[in-house]
Amino acid sequence: MNKTSVLIVGAGPGGLSAAITLKHQQPQAEICVIDKAAEPGNHNMSGATLEADALATLLEQADRNWRQSEQAKEILGYKVEKDNVMFFAGKNFAFNLAFSLKPAKALGIGFGQMSHQGNHIVSVSKLTKWLCKIAKDMGVEVLHGFSAEDIIYDEKKSIATGIKLVDQGLDKQGEKQPNYVAGEIINADVIILAEGCDGLVTGKFIEKAGLARRSKQLYSVGVKELVKVSDEQFKKFTTARVVHAMGWPLWTPVLGPAMFGGGTMHPVSENHIAVGMIVGLDWKYCDFSPQDALTNFKNHGFVKKFIEGGTIVEAGAKMIPESGFFSLPRNPQTSAIGKSNVIIIGDAAGLVNMLKIKGLHNAIKSGIAAGQAVSHCTNNLTAIASKYTELLNMSGVMEELRDAAKFRQTVAKLGPLFGFPLSVFGRKVPLFKVEEDYKVMSGRKYKYKPAKEYDKATFASLAGTQHREEQPSHLTIVNRNICDQKCIPKFYSPCITFCPAGVYETVGQQVKPANPSNCLHCKTCQRKCPFDNIRWTAPEGGGGPRYKNM
Amino acid sequence: MSDYIVLVKQVPDITQIMDNAFNLETGTLIRARLASVINELDTQALAVANRMNQLSGGAGRVIALSMGPPMAEEVLRYSLARCADSAVLLTDKSLGGADTCATANPLASAIRKITKELLGGSTELTTGGSKDFYIISGMQSVDGDTAQVPAQIAEELKIPCVAYVTDVEYNQGRFEFTKIISGGNQIVAARSTPAVITVAKYEYSMFATFAGTRKANNFKLIQWGEKDINATHIGINGSRTRVISVFPPGKTTRKCQHIIGTDELAKEIVENYDKSQQRDEKETGNGYILPSKRTNFFDRHFEGTKKESEDYKILADTLEKLGIKKLSDITEETKEKILSLAGQHFHKNALDDMLEGLKAAEPTYQGQVWVVAENDEEKIHPATFELVGKARSLADSLETKVGVAIAGKNIQSLCKSLIAAGADDIYVIENPLLENFDPVVHKKVLADVIAKYWPQIVLYAATPQGRVLAPMIAYRLGCGLTADCTGLEIKDSSRKQQIAVLMQTRPALGGNVMATISTKDSHCQMATARPGVMKRLEPDSSRKGRIIREPANINETDLSLDIIRTEKAAGKVHLDAEIVVSGGKGMQSRDNYESLVSQLAEALSKKFNTFVEKGASRAAVEQGFAERIHQVGQTGTSIGPKLYIALGISGAIQHMIGVANSDIIVAINSDSNAPIFKHCDYYMIGTAEEIVPRLAKNMKENHAAIIDSRPPITVEAKLTNNI
Repeated sequence: MNKTSVLIVGAGPGGLSAAITLKHQQPQAEICVIDKAAEPGNHNMSGATLEADALATLLEQADRNWRQSEQAKEILGYKVEKDNVMFFAGKNFAFNLAFSLKPAKALGIGFGQMSHQGNHIVSVSKLTKWLCKIAKDMGVEVLHGFSAEDIIYDEKKSIATGIKLVDQGLDKQGEKQPNYVAGEIINADVIILAEGCDGLVTGKFIEKAGLARRSKQLYSVGVKELVKVSDEQFKKFTTARVVHAMGWPLWTPVLGPAMFGGGTMHPVSENHIAVGMIVGLDWKYCDFSPQDALTNFKNHGFVKKFIEGGTIVEAGAKMIPESGFFSLPRNPQTSAIGKSNVIIIGDAAGLVNMLKIKGLHNAIKSGIAAGQAVSHCTNNLTAIASKYTELLNMSGVMEELRDAAKFRQTVAKLGPLFGFPLSVFGRKVPLFKVEEDYKVMSGRKYKYKPAKEYDKATFASLAGTQHREEQPSHLTIVNRNICDQKCIPKFYSPCITFCPAGVYETVGQQVKPANPSNCLHCKTCQRKCPFDNIRWTAPEGGGGPRYKNM
Repeated sequence: MSDYIVLVKQVPDITQIMDNAFNLETGTLIRARLASVINELDTQALAVANRMNQLSGGAGRVIALSMGPPMAEEVLRYSLARCADSAVLLTDKSLGGADTCATANPLASAIRKITKELLGGSTELTTGGSKDFYIISGMQSVDGDTAQVPAQIAEELKIPCVAYVTDVEYNQGRFEFTKIISGGNQIVAARSTPAVITVAKYEYSMFATFAGTRKANNFKLIQWGEKDINATHIGINGSRTRVISVFPPGKTTRKCQHIIGTDELAKEIVENYDKSQQRDEKETGNGYILPSKRTNFFDRHFEGTKKESEDYKILADTLEKLGIKKLSDITEETKEKILSLAGQHFHKNALDDMLEGLKAAEPTYQGQVWVVAENDEEKIHPATFELVGKARSLADSLETKVGVAIAGKNIQSLCKSLIAAGADDIYVIENPLLENFDPVVHKKVLADVIAKYWPQIVLYAATPQGRVLAPMIAYRLGCGLTADCTGLEIKDSSRKQQIAVLMQTRPALGGNVMATISTKDSHCQMATARPGVMKRLEPDSSRKGRIIREPANINETDLSLDIIRTEKAAGKVHLDAEIVVSGGKGMQSRDNYESLVSQLAEALSKKFNTFVEKGASRAAVEQGFAERIHQVGQTGTSIGPKLYIALGISGAIQHMIGVANSDIIVAINSDSNAPIFKHCDYYMIGTAEEIVPRLAKNMKENHAAIIDSRPPITVEAKLTNNI
């Protein structure tokens, strides 16, 4: 029972696409998908607009009549007809740039990719739940509540033999309780890493297998609230509008803050509108929290009218891998995204296109490519990584990522004011060398700090996050002296401010992850601690947020 | 070697209620919109079964049994992924809509079948030849919250029931269970097997393994329907209670009053303490009048539902308009007239029903209103006095007497206080075997006396003892039983020809809805009531009453439990106390927490002559200021004291949900934006160090305002609500 032929780590859209594709091609294949969330879709959160083609290709395999299914009608019910690409110049002024999208697209200018016309507006939690059901109905074993901790990798033979799960039933001090269960080792012939952004096992695999990224991976974090609004507000907003807003409160000219990112709005379901804020982790303001920006965004005249008086019913936070093409973890010898019998797909690989602000379609396409590769290489398992990479090149994913390849680095290097215009030149821009997000922190303050502190406890509660309290903290501070001697004097411990769930607090003059059970698994702390002094590991399975409609 | 049958139930996940789960018009929870999970206590039951199996050598089999719709197979797979070797799903449309009796009966039948077919024993469990096994279940489910089914299964199978178990040891070849009793713990062993064990708290629920989960997902479940078992009580028809109405719980709105001085705060606390009882007890004596005593023969305004009361009012008004005085004056022609005048309110069929209902004017039940006393040899449990007070008002409107049945070894001396509390007749059963509470013998003697006199109502306290005893007696006598009532009223249900019946109102789904229930197809109406909700009367020692001695037809072999030892509470945490003072992270250090919380607790305890427990927020526990057992909130213990004082607690929503049932909430916090200020009655802005010493001093000074001279309420009074 602890052996399977194919093991997929992560039951998100990517992992499930791989499972569905492989099962379609080889109905006899033994496929297990594990996920640390308690229920399907619980750890999946996104914007999200979805390009329809990738999903259609995937679902055709499972059922030709999928469009007629109840889920398709419910989950894919809203389509973008109105793109609001806005520039906010201060608290009340807004310019709509949407008029320029079409010409930009026609001219092949990067900015044109921000057009979302015809895309589905989806909740990724719901989409994932649906895909999970499809996979299970096809005979894929999807097992929730199991956290993976490490990969068993034979360096001599250059193959992986299995995955180790997290121990369960340790107490806070790490002592075994009566119900202790040692983390099982699941042996597998093929391993597909589909953990999502900044995956724990993916990170360990990249190191063990010697994969490398040409450019540093940059991240952003998105915080999002689902607001229940009045009939009138919802009607005014419509079910076909998507808003992307740049400028204030992240970037204002000359003396203002200069951050990468922006706010978004989209309809989710009847009378529910999502408001979100995505901020590149390379911000410099030590007192900044993405939720501050979200609060400001919500108070902007354009946004406020749609949500004022509403009730927040769900909330969440998640990181996005932003660097794209040049940051894919590759085998230096073969350029494969993976090695031998292990491949990395979706956000775990970083297949996000930041010009489109979308990665979901690529996650699905990479899953399809992964499924096809495994199916193709049944007799030569060590060729899977190369085959997968070849199929990915042919799938259009790479083509698209190449177009956006230098965008994020350009903005990171030159700032939004010069970076955005320059990035118009797409592939012709040089690849700027960038530093990791955490290295750019400064003692400067965010100019538009809201007067009232954001209620993070309620935010975490609305994310439904839960962990078994009596387990070792899954967040650790590597060297406490760094906090006391370097971070606090210089930056006043920004982890306390930026963690969207309020995990970090000063207790008795010590900064620590005081509330690990509030953690939303976004991992921002691991990537933004200015001294790279925090490590996120996987808690017991079943812990974490419980997104339903995010 | 024993085998284990674990009862598992699928319940709605009331910890995760989505915003669309409430019906906006009625305010009630739509159960279908809630996710389904395994009942939390049943996961603990599985862990106890596994623990027992490990302790005794690990050779026993664990079989999970569930009754429910086909989707309940999920909880069986959950069990298989952990420790079950096999699993049986009892599912059939005809089994739906069952009350506890019609749930216990089919489950007991399934257990007989499991014994024979899976464990190789006989279906006659008590007459030897049966296998040695235990039936283990969670003490109660979060949706029904009644704790009746396991006890009724024990009654149906005529086997011992060890309820409220928190731990188990294996000594010299037998299991010794730690169980909760009022005010402490008891270590007991079952005198015979099979036996039912109900688990009230066992910390170490099992984890699923990857291998176990795969096995569980591929396991072929055994599925039985009604035809496979020989159950006698099935579905709605086999039930002895009926749901009359479901409605949202009354919203308590907090005052959120900002207080500047500690003297002012002390004054508010003293003045409002205990007044708040009115908040839960909306239904104090409704002044019910028997139909025969009403001035207008057609007056039916004491109906169980508002709609029916209104309809009858319209009917009475219409009849008055038409000048009709007697029922016999109503002809087909007058019916037409009535409908032409009031037809927008009710249709012809309803009118016929209502007129038919008017013919019923005699009370449906006869006899006294009884309370089953809970007592040890020295004193009566306070909840019994509360019930006697309630029984008094019910009996007065029914024009009958209040009886109390009391059983024990030597209890004659306790009877006076019962009469003083409002009882007329005391039925006393004395026997040395009744010294300690043994559900089987107590049930037997009390059921005998109830069946001898057939009172119309029997009330029990919803304590660890009452919640085992009541379901067994009700099942034995074939009577409906409603658990954990917070409201008891006499009403009519004329259209069902039910006159002067007991309307039993109780919270369900974790307090998210309220339901009013009435008894059907029973000799007698039975209910357990939550301690602390009903009001006791001022003791009146001049009251007169009768003491009637009743025989106890029991002998030594009837005893079902060996009581190994009894541990009265000491050093235990009683978050069910009437006052809880909690400290949060704002206390800064363990020393601060201990000194300040204790200081205030002591002052309050003296002031109100009651026990005050210390609580802590999750953050305070995380910081090591207090032990986890003191943790209050959604992830700790949910509490509902009369007074809750939060020191240095910010008021995260998880914490506030856990204290939402408190009567008065007082918050002291130095952060003027603390969310708790929006969820409390009184708040002061400032640190606990500044405020607590002054407040404690003010509490001591304020002697004049002592409002409660009753003897101290013992701490176990609310125990059952808070496990």
